[in-house]
Amino acid sequence: MSVGLVHVPVKLFTATDSKTISFREVHLEDGAPIEHRRFCEKEGKEVPYEDVVRGFEVKKGQYVALEKDEMKAAAGGTGHLIEVEHFVPVDEIDPVYYDKGYYLGAQDKAKDGYRVLHDALEQTGRAAIGRFTFHNREYVAAIRPYDGVLALHTLHFADEVVDGGDLDYTKPRKGAGDREVKMAGKLVESLHEEFDPKRYKDEYRKAVLKVIEQKAAGKEIEPPEDEETEEPDDILAALEASLDGGGR
Amino acid sequence: MARPLWSGSLSFGLVNVPVQLFSGVRDQALHFRQLHEKDGSPIETRRFCSKEDEEVSFDQVGHGYETDKGKPVVLTDEELSTAAPRKTRTIDIEAFVDLTDVDPIYFDHPYFLLPQGDAEGTRRAYRLLVEVLEQSDRAALGRFVMRTKEYLVAVRVRDGLLSLTTMRFHDEVRPTKDIPGGGRKPAKERLEHAVALIEAMSEDWDPSRYEDRYRKRLLDVINRKKKGRKITVPEDEDEPTPVPDLMKALEESLAQAKGGGRKPKAEDDLDDLSRDELYERAQEADIEGRANMSKGELADALADR
Repeated sequence: MSVGLVHVPVKLFTATDSKTISFREVHLEDGAPIEHRRFCEKEGKEVPYEDVVRGFEVKKGQYVALEKDEMKAAAGGTGHLIEVEHFVPVDEIDPVYYDKGYYLGAQDKAKDGYRVLHDALEQTGRAAIGRFTFHNREYVAAIRPYDGVLALHTLHFADEVVDGGDLDYTKPRKGAGDREVKMAGKLVESLHEEFDPKRYKDEYRKAVLKVIEQKAAGKEIEPPEDEETEEPDDILAALEASLDGGGR
Repeated sequence: MARPLWSGSLSFGLVNVPVQLFSGVRDQALHFRQLHEKDGSPIETRRFCSKEDEEVSFDQVGHGYETDKGKPVVLTDEELSTAAPRKTRTIDIEAFVDLTDVDPIYFDHPYFLLPQGDAEGTRRAYRLLVEVLEQSDRAALGRFVMRTKEYLVAVRVRDGLLSLTTMRFHDEVRPTKDIPGGGRKPAKERLEHAVALIEAMSEDWDPSRYEDRYRKRLLDVINRKKKGRKITVPEDEDEPTPVPDLMKALEESLAQAKGGGRKPKAEDDLDDLSRDELYERAQEADIEGRANMSKGELADALADR
């Protein structure tokens, strides 16, 4: 990672690790894994992977074919370098711009430089913005201190982020009344707590594992029923009732 | 306007606000499809049973879960769908937390929520929630189900609207203790130099100044290929070596940053520029064939003008 003439050797790690239960496709009849095989639409014959190229549709049904190597010509700098262009106040970056999250670790020979950069970013409240090439494509990334290390987020480009103004939103004719704002504020307070990510468990993951266990034990699996929701239209009465009930 | 991805109601306490969900980001990537090199015809994938070596229709495909003991457990679509939670039309707000406490590392996909329908009551309730969240600098945490999966979500205000972000669960964010962090606490002078360098290179956040150069270059490559030109692939550069004297590097960088940044380099110093910098100049100068040029070729082409 380079800042001006300073080079800090770093390593990139993924910061997140999806725990969603994943399945592979199997043939229902015999439980054998399914293979995806490539066939030429014209010849109806199987095509080995070496004979597959990537096609970009320039007109309906008309493709420009690129070899795997030719895609690399667009990759960007190949020097394994995160080139910091400048620094910005980290609070100004709306998290909607953050795409994938990574951690930067220090390489053994450069721990001190890493620490200087980390501490200086923390002290200034800044994030470093730089470009780097990863898996044959160039990204713009923000690097910020997080929990004693540096976190790197690849960034969405401005034209990828939907602006609130692009959406069809109609304000109410009359704004919320003082009493409503006051009461809603109270309700928010009554449900206020400190954010503790450990409190939230992935219930869906648990439910899927349970179904797998039942099936493995040879049990019948019953479908659940749907629930209907009601929609009260008197906000004030609903707020009052919510507060009376201690929130929930 | 785009079609909603989901509709239902946002429920907080006993207040239900009918809402619709829209994506907060749009896909601008260039998409390719697989082609057979020989005849340029599109490739289709067919499913085959690996045991019988015969084609399998999609309705004969199940979900296999590998267990430690040999045979996978096989679930049909119907069996898997029983795991989907029962409440499917409600975003249930469980708590309100300080926005600054929720680190964006937990954020996954961003969406917008808009009031659904044109009832004045819905619009007022929506507006009320926007105002209260904005004033209190809070985010609402809740759960909701989309396409059979339950998500933990944070609802906050962006651009005067409710923005919903699906969140990663705690055990999906890797602990930082496994990450090799920094060494010794830096000496005061070193830190001061680094801070000064950061200050000198600081600007306001302006996302519109970053363009997707990869997308642009890829389009350039496609256009060249379309015209039948040859595409040359750049060779890998070596990893740069660290500067042995950090303090000296900091001082020199600071002097450079204060001297008006790294931009103003004399035109005759083209050889000192990186390929990216040269490429940008070649773009400005509209030099033909730039996508395939090496660093040296770009410098030559620019010098010849």
